[in-house]
Amino acid sequence: MNHLRIAGGLVYDPANAVDGDVRDICIEDGRIVASLPVTAPRLDARGMVVMPGGVDMHCHVASSSVNVARRLLPEDHGQHPATAPLLDDTAAVPRSGTDGTVPTTFTTGYRYAGLGYTTVFDAAVAPIMARTAHTQLDDTPIVDGGFFALLGNDDYLLRLIDAGDRERAREYAAWMLAAVGAYAIKIVNPAGVELWKRGTKERTDLDTALGSSRVTPRAILETLVDAANTLQLPHGAHIHCNNLGLPGNSVTTLATMAALDGRRAHFTHLQFHSYGKSPEGRWQSAAREIVEYVNAHQNISGDVGQVMFGPAATITADAPVEYLLHKSSGRKWANVDIELETGCGVVPHEYRDRNAVAALQWAIGLELFLLSADPWRLVLSTDHPNGGSFMSYPELIRLLMDRVYRDEQIARVEQKLLAGSALADGLGREYSLSEIAVVTRAGPARLLGLRNKGHLGVGADADVTVYVPDDNRATMFSTPRYVVKGGVLVVEEGQLRRAPTGHRLYVRPPFDQSVTHDIERYFDQYGTVRFANVPVAGLRDSPLPVGAR
Amino acid sequence: MTQLSVIENVTCLGCGCACDDIEIVVASDRIVDARNACSLGRRWFGDGQAPSAVRVDKADVSPEEAVSSAAARLCEAARPLVYLAPGLSCEAQREAVAVADLLRARVDSVTSSTALPGMLASQEHGFATATLGEIRNRADVVVFWGVDLEGRYPRFAPRYAPSPPGVHVPAGRRSRTVIAVDIGRAAATVDADVRVEIDPADELPTLIAIEAFIRSSDASGLHASVADRLRSTARELATALLSARYIALVYDAEPDDRSERTDVRFEALASLGQALNDRTRCAALALRAGGNRSGADSVLVAQTGYPCAVDFARGYPRYDPHAGSTLRLLHYHDVDAVLVVGDATGISSDIAALFSNLQAVVIGPHASSAALGARGVVIDTGIDGIHLSGTALRTDDVPLPLRAVLPGPRSTAETIRAVTAGVRRVLLPARPVDSAALGS
Repeated sequence: MNHLRIAGGLVYDPANAVDGDVRDICIEDGRIVASLPVTAPRLDARGMVVMPGGVDMHCHVASSSVNVARRLLPEDHGQHPATAPLLDDTAAVPRSGTDGTVPTTFTTGYRYAGLGYTTVFDAAVAPIMARTAHTQLDDTPIVDGGFFALLGNDDYLLRLIDAGDRERAREYAAWMLAAVGAYAIKIVNPAGVELWKRGTKERTDLDTALGSSRVTPRAILETLVDAANTLQLPHGAHIHCNNLGLPGNSVTTLATMAALDGRRAHFTHLQFHSYGKSPEGRWQSAAREIVEYVNAHQNISGDVGQVMFGPAATITADAPVEYLLHKSSGRKWANVDIELETGCGVVPHEYRDRNAVAALQWAIGLELFLLSADPWRLVLSTDHPNGGSFMSYPELIRLLMDRVYRDEQIARVEQKLLAGSALADGLGREYSLSEIAVVTRAGPARLLGLRNKGHLGVGADADVTVYVPDDNRATMFSTPRYVVKGGVLVVEEGQLRRAPTGHRLYVRPPFDQSVTHDIERYFDQYGTVRFANVPVAGLRDSPLPVGAR
Repeated sequence: MTQLSVIENVTCLGCGCACDDIEIVVASDRIVDARNACSLGRRWFGDGQAPSAVRVDKADVSPEEAVSSAAARLCEAARPLVYLAPGLSCEAQREAVAVADLLRARVDSVTSSTALPGMLASQEHGFATATLGEIRNRADVVVFWGVDLEGRYPRFAPRYAPSPPGVHVPAGRRSRTVIAVDIGRAAATVDADVRVEIDPADELPTLIAIEAFIRSSDASGLHASVADRLRSTARELATALLSARYIALVYDAEPDDRSERTDVRFEALASLGQALNDRTRCAALALRAGGNRSGADSVLVAQTGYPCAVDFARGYPRYDPHAGSTLRLLHYHDVDAVLVVGDATGISSDIAALFSNLQAVVIGPHASSAALGARGVVIDTGIDGIHLSGTALRTDDVPLPLRAVLPGPRSTAETIRAVTAGVRRVLLPARPVDSAALGS
């Protein structure tokens, strides 16, 4: 049996109401246990901060679209070579790669583990491309991983909505998740991506009709949000609202939240959806309205999608946004319309602190964090690599925890559009270590419905990160002293030493088998992939349970 | 009586179309029919027989001996090259890139000597494309730009466009306008509504002129010296394109012995494809030949960041698509050993001839039939997609399952993995593991 005692650390385990208490964490065969024999091997964690492994619930690391970005950015890779780690692990071949805004697969796994993150979800995979996502996850070591399936512009689903058959739409969603090995339902710019493919470049509002007046973003959202909840999926529908990135889009965001009327749903990268518009048509912050709505509605959760200054790569299924970004920035652009399902757009980008819009975006993200009343329901993300790299999480944590540092940074950025933002008016809040543990692990794990992640109670997966306290929180969080993944010590004295294979996180919800006849008929009629070739066989690990707790 | 069995929904790697509706009929462990397959597909499946020789320096040896000899020879090389020939599953390609990384070798694929110009254009400028399902279901104007559809992609027309009906083109062929552009001898072999002939010397100026007409109706960006005849061809094509709701601009990414092709042609095609999106919608589609070539690009991009011509010599991947392509390396004698993985009979003859001067390890289907590795290691493996299951990418990067329809020789991926393990034993002797480390 494999034993390990992480002894005497200051444990931050908010899911179990442990707030910096001196505790031992006992690990046996990859799980947390109540106790161990005194002879068990021990890591001396005295004076160090112990947290569950980090959980990234929204990033782009393993998909055909991420590969489009990788292909598009050789010059970025060239500036960021990544040598192979010196592993003690004889089971794994240590792999080199490239860093930069969109790291290669192996390097992505090493870097996440090096930051103390042990669970990662790719937030946007076209179902037809699922095999590619699984392949890339297979090549992303250490972390447990999964992905969300894009369904918000799926032609077959839209037909069922048009026919008023929301029950069949739900069963179709269940079939698709099960077939491709996805974890959750993702909705991106519902109806808007299909409208782009039909040649529309205008904004899409909640009741914009897509051909039929019965098919609207509102109908798509209701259908898929209800599907996720009726199917009792561990995570509610994961929503990227219409009109991302456009000034004045907070109206759409608030209308979408209100439309869901008490239903469980997750709103992703809210920063990109919290833009107001002044009477003169200028961008301004609408963070306060958005976050106050979230604060007041327990059914809603979100992640921030913070913008960090520096280079980024924008990768999204929201292809019309990328067209507009390409047109406004002049940077190179890739677009892939995908198989009556969804879209894909990629444009490299840079957020400059002297750029008024980028400074506003940065400020809005911080406002969302600092005005949030419930860190369990509004968690940390940069929408990697859209708002910035996951490698900038430690810097973001410093901004949240250190008011003096944050105020220095606020003073440095372009002020032109910051008038009226709460950040400019001075927000004194500083996140505590416990709150950081909530927004980076306990909260995302709970929102994802991962029962064995994000906490250190008995039975939890032994994913543990040990940090050396430092007044500079960016330093502290960028170089954990130890990281344990599934009971294996992967980072030792700050060095990556082992790279075990991570687990695949997916669901296989039950569905009414009778719906498959019509799906097969549809594939026969319009598909270019045979119905029998859609399901992905031979996935690692068993599916996670679906259903009431 | 011989028992026939039929395996349905089999993916064909005869060309990049990767049709996945093939029905393979098997009798006595031989393929006797490949229903739905075109001529290229039937040739690719053949009768499903493959040799299973294992040799070192022409002598038959055990697989273990061959693997350990391969590992030793590769470790001794100063400048090894791992070459991804066509015919590998993505699983095998991933293993091949792993051993290249470990060896600090170069790694390249057939892309560098075939589709590189289009790849470089797409990296420099971006691209606007679509998967074949979008083209099938949406494209109301389909342009075939000098592509020999009938000879090289025979089922493209009946299966993707223009023939089949689609969601937004319900009458199939009748819902679409097909424009064939013949570039000199490079005719677009398709039944077309409009056929335009362009002299090869005029191809680039015509593309530039079409884009000028897309950008402004009087082509104000166009130089006054552009000939009237060319100007009128360009205006005619631009008008036809702008009448579309959704254009598919289809061309061949692979070399075609019917015509010379310049690198800038691919930039102009990609640029036109993008520009059309200002006025309507357009997807440009560069077709790839068979054997999972798109898969090799995709695997290399995912693992190294680059699609071909990668050098691990410094301990990390570097991209040198010009001087680092296999032909250039061989020309400068900058390779002293080569590991060829995949179907070595699918390598172009100039590269194969240069490989035959080198210390070679050849692992793949028909390895023993290829004119390589006379003084080297040869390990015949099964054919991915006939004897071995796995994944391959269609020309549009849509991944499809490969099915094993017959028993056959050993697995390519597993054989490469065994070589990797051998290389590891030579290069990275196991380190002691301390007691606090919890092994999995």
